[in-house]
Amino acid sequence: MEIRFDWKLSRVVDEDGNVLDQLEWTSSHSANSLVERLSDLQSGRLTPEARILRDRFPDAVPNPLGAISDGNWPELTKEESEMLSHASLILAKRGVANAATDPDRRLDMLSSASTELRSSWTTQESRAVEWAGLFLHDLDLDGRRAEIPLCIAESENISEAAVKLGASIPEHLPTDSEWSAMNSQARGVISLSERLALNEQATRELATSHVPSLSSLIGPLGASRMVVLAGGRERLARMPSGSLQVLGASGAMAAHRRGAPPPKHSPVLFSMPLVSRSPRWVRGKIARFLAGKCSIAVRIDHFGGQTWDEDQVRAIHAQAEEIRDKFPKPKKRG
Amino acid sequence: MPRKPVSLGWGIRREGRTLWSRNSTRGKSVGNERRKRDGRIEWRQWDPSRSKVAAALLITSQKASELLPGPGDTCLYLGASSGTTVSHIHDMVCGSNNHHNGQIIAVEISPRMMRDLSSLAEDRPGLIPILTDARETPSYAPLMREKAHWIHQDLSIADQAENFITIAKSTLQAGGIGLLSLKAASERHSEGDDFSRFSSAEKLLKESELELVERIDISKFQDQHVVFVVKLLKGERTD
Repeated sequence: MEIRFDWKLSRVVDEDGNVLDQLEWTSSHSANSLVERLSDLQSGRLTPEARILRDRFPDAVPNPLGAISDGNWPELTKEESEMLSHASLILAKRGVANAATDPDRRLDMLSSASTELRSSWTTQESRAVEWAGLFLHDLDLDGRRAEIPLCIAESENISEAAVKLGASIPEHLPTDSEWSAMNSQARGVISLSERLALNEQATRELATSHVPSLSSLIGPLGASRMVVLAGGRERLARMPSGSLQVLGASGAMAAHRRGAPPPKHSPVLFSMPLVSRSPRWVRGKIARFLAGKCSIAVRIDHFGGQTWDEDQVRAIHAQAEEIRDKFPKPKKRG
Repeated sequence: MPRKPVSLGWGIRREGRTLWSRNSTRGKSVGNERRKRDGRIEWRQWDPSRSKVAAALLITSQKASELLPGPGDTCLYLGASSGTTVSHIHDMVCGSNNHHNGQIIAVEISPRMMRDLSSLAEDRPGLIPILTDARETPSYAPLMREKAHWIHQDLSIADQAENFITIAKSTLQAGGIGLLSLKAASERHSEGDDFSRFSSAEKLLKESELELVERIDISKFQDQHVVFVVKLLKGERTD
């Protein structure tokens, strides 16, 4: 005995194909109520009629594929077909709009924008610095690197910038239009830094609420990178910690498939001082340990566990340091 | 030299090496495909390098009409994307204003693609866009009016053949046609090269209850792709 149903009709049918009972949706054939119905069906729920039939026949099993398999299922009228088209369109558009409620997608926008901003900042900043260095021949490019873009951006001409940066007045000057381009390059660098700061602030806030335990373990920026690389929090939570350890090291993993040694850690884990500041021979051990903890953390975050407090995170970091102290010397090759 | 058009069924024809479908929204293109008038009818070009079904139609060694649904059929399209192929299927199955009374269930999981697909559906009655996972048959089956005459699966997931067999068995009607577009790059990296992935999919299809009709290599138009054509023989008819 099973319950066959579509959006309009529900039937209880026994093993011999006899219809024992049926209910049809008749009340208020409005587009909005149909949209809600379709939404219920799409999320795997039953229609109200199918639920009533289930209560009447507790032995009957609901079969979502029953209606299309039933040769005696009534056909839709033209009006009903049109109604279904219309409602499914509204529902699809609602689904598109609801994508904005998904924190994974929002984190993806932030984190990806952040990566792009950072890479364009790096190239544009070094261009601005090299450009200034061409004219200001005795400027200390390394010692005063951080000030150079701002000084160029806020000066009227190259000589003013030279004074601000403590360099001698250049002997050979850029043309006016050249200076304008140089100045605007520097202003671009400043604006990129501001955008990056705003972006990372927003990323931190979102990551701290979306993956709180993972954020306190490896920092909110690293945590958001991991979620984005995995393609969402749920996927990250379902990953084995070995995958998590090399998440983002796709180039190294491809090389590994061709015979190179496996990567010890992903760029995300490497960006943690615990890994990158440790001696080379313990980085893999620490990364493996941390990946395991990350995987526990994201599972806590995703499946609604008790968020880790500072003490717990501190204890984990202390354990990682113990691993480092346990191996003061590289393994002897033998 | 204009070639004489060959009809491949209602609303679809071939002219030399190009395919055309009878535009059901006259004056409008879906992407930026060419349109041309022939008397009162407007035809829309169906680009084989953008549509796997079109590529399969041009390459198949059987009659191309054997691969297509007919006017008024019920179709299930899994992985509809932004609806390029779906629009041509709609041209022939529903026609303008759905005067054939066809139904196309177009399933797509990505909201970004659904954005384009749903605006397509506005002009094309009979096209039902559904934002859901194609593997979740129960989430769209209650919206189908009957089992499908024609299914096309074009998903970028691993285990495409297994999924196709499961879905086709439960949603295809007896005598129905199924097309599976297999993308080698979507299968797991660890499982052999492209050729062995196509062969293992072929083996799975042969062992299933579906009858494998043809394997069409469309790499001429789209890299690393093969289209499998199957038929479901068993099962009761619903019409």
